[in-house]
Amino acid sequence: MRFLQPGTLEEAISTRVDNPEQSVIIAGGTAVVLMLQHGLIAPEVLISLEKIPGLDSIRIEDNRLHIGALAKLGDVADSRLVRQYFPALFAACAAVGNVRVRNQATLGGNLAEADYASDPPAALMMLDALVEVKGISGTRQISLPDLLLGFLTTTLEPDELITGVIIPIPTEQPRMAYLRYNNRSSEDRPCVGIAASATFNDAICTGLRLTVGAACEIPTRLSEIEALAVGSPLTDTRIHEIAEGYAAGIETIDDLQSSAWYRTQMIRVHIQRVLKGLRDG
Amino acid sequence: MAKSVHMLDSIARVTGTVPYTANLKLPQMLYAKVLRSWLPHARIVHIDTSRAEQMPGVVAVLTAADLNQPGGPTTFYGVQHKDQPIVATDRVRYIGEPVAIIAAESTDIAEAALHEIEVEYKELPAVYDEIQAMQPCAPVLHGDYPDNCFRHARLRHGDIEVGFAAADEIIEEMYFSPTANHVTLEPHVTAAQWQDGKLTIWSATQAPSLVQQVIAELFNLEPEAVRVMVAPLGGGYGGKGHIRLEPMVAALAWKVNGRPVKLTLTRAETFVTVNKHAAAIHIKSGVKRDGTLTARQVTIHWNGGAYADVSPGLVGSGMLRSIGPYRIPAVQVDSYGVYTNLPPAAAFRGAMASQGTWAYESHSDSIAHRLGIEPLAFRLQNLLVDGDAFATGETLHDIHFVECLEAVASGIGWNTPLQKNSGVLKRGRGLAVMMKSTIPNSTSQCRLLLDDDGQVTLFTSTVEMGQGAHTALAQIAAEALGVPVATMNVVGPDTAQNLFDTSTNASRSTFMMGNAIINAATLLKQKLIEAAVPLLEHPPEELSVRNGVVCVTEKPELCFSLTDILRRNQLTSVDALGEFQTRVAGLDPETGQGVSTPHWHQGAGACEVEIDTETGKVAILRYWSAAFAGRVVNPELARLQNDGNVIYGIGPALLEEVIFDNGQIANPNLSDYNIPAFPDIPHNLNSVSLEGESGEFHGIGEMTLPPVAPAIANAIFDALGIRIYDLPITAEKVLRALQNE
Repeated sequence: MRFLQPGTLEEAISTRVDNPEQSVIIAGGTAVVLMLQHGLIAPEVLISLEKIPGLDSIRIEDNRLHIGALAKLGDVADSRLVRQYFPALFAACAAVGNVRVRNQATLGGNLAEADYASDPPAALMMLDALVEVKGISGTRQISLPDLLLGFLTTTLEPDELITGVIIPIPTEQPRMAYLRYNNRSSEDRPCVGIAASATFNDAICTGLRLTVGAACEIPTRLSEIEALAVGSPLTDTRIHEIAEGYAAGIETIDDLQSSAWYRTQMIRVHIQRVLKGLRDG
Repeated sequence: MAKSVHMLDSIARVTGTVPYTANLKLPQMLYAKVLRSWLPHARIVHIDTSRAEQMPGVVAVLTAADLNQPGGPTTFYGVQHKDQPIVATDRVRYIGEPVAIIAAESTDIAEAALHEIEVEYKELPAVYDEIQAMQPCAPVLHGDYPDNCFRHARLRHGDIEVGFAAADEIIEEMYFSPTANHVTLEPHVTAAQWQDGKLTIWSATQAPSLVQQVIAELFNLEPEAVRVMVAPLGGGYGGKGHIRLEPMVAALAWKVNGRPVKLTLTRAETFVTVNKHAAAIHIKSGVKRDGTLTARQVTIHWNGGAYADVSPGLVGSGMLRSIGPYRIPAVQVDSYGVYTNLPPAAAFRGAMASQGTWAYESHSDSIAHRLGIEPLAFRLQNLLVDGDAFATGETLHDIHFVECLEAVASGIGWNTPLQKNSGVLKRGRGLAVMMKSTIPNSTSQCRLLLDDDGQVTLFTSTVEMGQGAHTALAQIAAEALGVPVATMNVVGPDTAQNLFDTSTNASRSTFMMGNAIINAATLLKQKLIEAAVPLLEHPPEELSVRNGVVCVTEKPELCFSLTDILRRNQLTSVDALGEFQTRVAGLDPETGQGVSTPHWHQGAGACEVEIDTETGKVAILRYWSAAFAGRVVNPELARLQNDGNVIYGIGPALLEEVIFDNGQIANPNLSDYNIPAFPDIPHNLNSVSLEGESGEFHGIGEMTLPPVAPAIANAIFDALGIRIYDLPITAEKVLRALQNE
């Protein structure tokens, strides 16, 4: 196996183009190294992004937060800007693994891996984040639902790299939360993760965004259920109705960590907890 | 004596310089990799290693064809039954069984060469469940055992029929304890070198003397021709307790002939190397309405995996460790060790007692509940005390179950009111007590050496595996010799210079090696006194050793330092050997009556838990544990053992289970197999180490572990009224039980 460390994005992309089938991109390596160790992948070329400068910044531009693909999850969680504008993203990144994992794993790598048992994708989807992608033919921006295809699968072309994430800063600061539930060890991957934000006019809910992650193949947002919240107070009954809508509308995963049945129960329980938390502020 | 000194190697531990065997690099060293069976049960029709052997960088490939040759190792080994081949001969019996082992210039080359070995199998039917394996039509693993039962240990005490007839209530339950893995941070690792007809072995083992003996026998060598060295272990927990990789690596080294070869298991390989016994435990008790126990019948099936390993003995220990520390006039136990097509099982910290305690202490609360008696009161009414006879008929001494249980009950505030119901979160309390026999017949030997610079060296085959044994033993030696701990050095296991020790197992080291050291120190002091007689001009009986000097007992100012005594006698050093042995009568194989152990390990635990009734998740708010230590050597290390046991025990209680899918392990990694993380440890975690009048050392390496699972299960029952029968107590199981209510 050859280990290459291109110094620029262009070089990384052309290296990738030269070895489309036999190469794997590695950023922080928390996922790729495990896959290598377990023999799940056996690339001839490992293309490291580590030496590419400028891809780890977190900054505001044109009223949008830009997070470089190589920003560590720990840096995202520590960012004052993230904490100020997107506390749900802060909570999701801070919930990942443990401090050693967060200091190594990158946000771009997290999205490119497309592992369902993860926290940041649900938060980013809830925030309507756009993923900036660069390939030979140029740059494009795609939404999370357009990026994530399924279990460990994205719509990225072989020559494309994730360069960053762009999140629009809302004009009115909503209430926002990310609730992660671990059914086993506290350092386990999430069983269910709920990202939510809501705006209120007095007690009347004027908008709700609600994404369920980790329990299903890709994070799921059900806009017709979200709409139930808008225009009236978030009563317990309404919250229950929303939770039931999500529980019924999401096909949950059955794996060694928990059964599909249990994950459905946990979606129901934790959506209610998140929404009551947002309502009660 | 009790003094909290830091572990002797504490600086090395925190700076990462402990010379673990995993880090060992020898000149000219080769690296080994193992080809393993991917079928649970199959005939080996053909093995072709020629392509692998021709690969550049491959030095040797060992298969069963190399065994049983003149001058080489014989094929089969086993501590009790010689049923296990070094590598598979004509048959594989579990997924992961070694079929061939390769030595190469690098791990990568060895790994690549694995793919070049061709093995043709003919699959056979397999059986995984320990009860099904004993059914008449089950596939047979070893021809000598047509019912797959390699040991049936029996205990018959009193008249069981009369006992049940005298009962007002009979409570009958079935408990399950699944396969779990030891998860030592350092995986199994062994290096070996064969030179001029002699073997040198570096191994992460808890049993250097046993390894020497078994390997010598396997190679038909004198024990002196096998040298075994053991660096500190990165954890053992019983998983490194007996023979593990040594036969395979020694055989490969023999084939290599000259260069050393090292095998380090991957995490996944540790899961197919040795595990905790899964157990199915049927327990039935007769009890009078006033809470008096009249009879108990226990039937246990232990899943031994494909090879008996140390299980035959452990199945006997498990018979004793499944009864419980209670006065019961009639007891019948049938303990079956069963072959299945799973990896072999062996001792797991709290060996067999964890499975037994899970059943009998959950069962205690079921009985108490049926009778409407408070759980602590039910136990106190029936617990064994000094002078009682156990179900083996042996009279008990130094018995402190009541004190252990009362200590934890008081710690947790058992009698203070508990706010049980606060909406979604419900609280409950539970407790449990355990008893465990130790190794009946064992021997520890050591050597103490005093240099003329005043340094004392203890040569001991006790293995340091993070438990602090070398520190505690140095403290015992220092006190017995009357010298400061700072003058002590400890030289760990090396069979070329150290004496015999049965093993670092069953919490025996402080007791056994501690007493060997005291005996050595007594002899060494006698030698020093005799050497001081001409200097002090007093007869030996008027002299004593204290504070680093030999002095006239009545006139302590008349003294010579130990170093002066050596120098004035022109001695560079003086040494003494010490030995301590236990020999007990043993048990009748038909009735289990007799004497089983020199003394009993005793422990208890109590906890308060909070259950989220919407998720089923259990949080341990407070945990108190107690171990009977007899005599505490180092209070801080004792506390760490007690607390460490509880933390270790939370794993199998709430999280850990090796999951098999037709014999294939589905979770052989620490992402899918969860162990407790630091935030899972109860914030309020406390322990007590109880001492007794006799001043006899009792091991404390395991005692607070077995009560963890039943104490938690009993607290859940207290909170919710639901009883969990199979470990681990996952959130999903609790939620399902709640919804089935």
